[in-house]
Amino acid sequence: MVDELYLANAVLELASGIVALLVSYTAFRYNRLLRSDILGFLSFGFMLLGVGLLAEGSLHSLISFNIGQILADRALVYVASVIYLILQVIAYSSFLIGYYRSSFGRFGVDTFVPMLSFIVVHTNRNPLLLGTYVNATVQLIVVILLAFVVFQGLLAQSGAKGRSLLVLIGFLLILVAHVVILASSLIISPPLFLTGALVQFTGFLFLLFYILRSGRVVPAAANP
Amino acid sequence: MSQPQRTRSRIKIYFDILSSVQEEGNAKPTRVLYRSNLSYDRLTKYLDELVAKGLLQEVRSEDSRYYTITQKGSEFILEVKKAEAFLKGFGLSL
Repeated sequence: MVDELYLANAVLELASGIVALLVSYTAFRYNRLLRSDILGFLSFGFMLLGVGLLAEGSLHSLISFNIGQILADRALVYVASVIYLILQVIAYSSFLIGYYRSSFGRFGVDTFVPMLSFIVVHTNRNPLLLGTYVNATVQLIVVILLAFVVFQGLLAQSGAKGRSLLVLIGFLLILVAHVVILASSLIISPPLFLTGALVQFTGFLFLLFYILRSGRVVPAAANP
Repeated sequence: MSQPQRTRSRIKIYFDILSSVQEEGNAKPTRVLYRSNLSYDRLTKYLDELVAKGLLQEVRSEDSRYYTITQKGSEFILEVKKAEAFLKGFGLSL
């Protein structure tokens, strides 16, 4: 049962990671042409998410096939999970900063100091001593950051012409997924965790649809 | 909290000039000036840059001068449109 759960989770994480890296590459490609800070933040954030998801997916694949007896060394699995969570915090902070700069312009150093200092406090402590506390805390930070990202996205989309809701729905699903994953870690429910991973993957699928659709721009014909 | 500056970026100005030339076909500087909303001096500077980058071609005849878009210029417009479409989904703009 545990093996199948890890395997299903690994497949969903690997697929989500590939989509995240695809979004990152698309933003990077356009940023190379346009030199836009906003595209830079998007590319950086999705790169961190993609790398983190691929690393987590690979680790869970090894566990599911019991390769190298990784599960016996729980410290390794735990540290890897904590690193992945921290990567997510940095990634979603990056999206939030991108949206913030788009809405309000450049910010002073003091704008994000409270949030960053909160992250630093938790990363400097020994994660092995914190048990599930660190997992739930960082997940909660991710949920709060994602809620801000969704809210900013909603505000930005509300005034836009020809808007597409695919990205917003994608982020909303990823937010719901993290709430479900947070709940699963609090009540210790592996099936609920898998449900969260599935919802997260669905969110990334929406982003994939959007990437494929936004790339289809028809060239304008010149006047004779 | 300061509001964002909404001045056009260099890329956006390039895009506006190239789009107006593409739509006109053979575009005289006065037409481009009218459509790109720039001063004459700035337009001349940008047109020279676009010609130097191979995105526009300057054609001179005895009594007139006009610009046509190159293949590289058309590809640039398409890439910028794709980037704009990509950002729009996130509720963002160039």
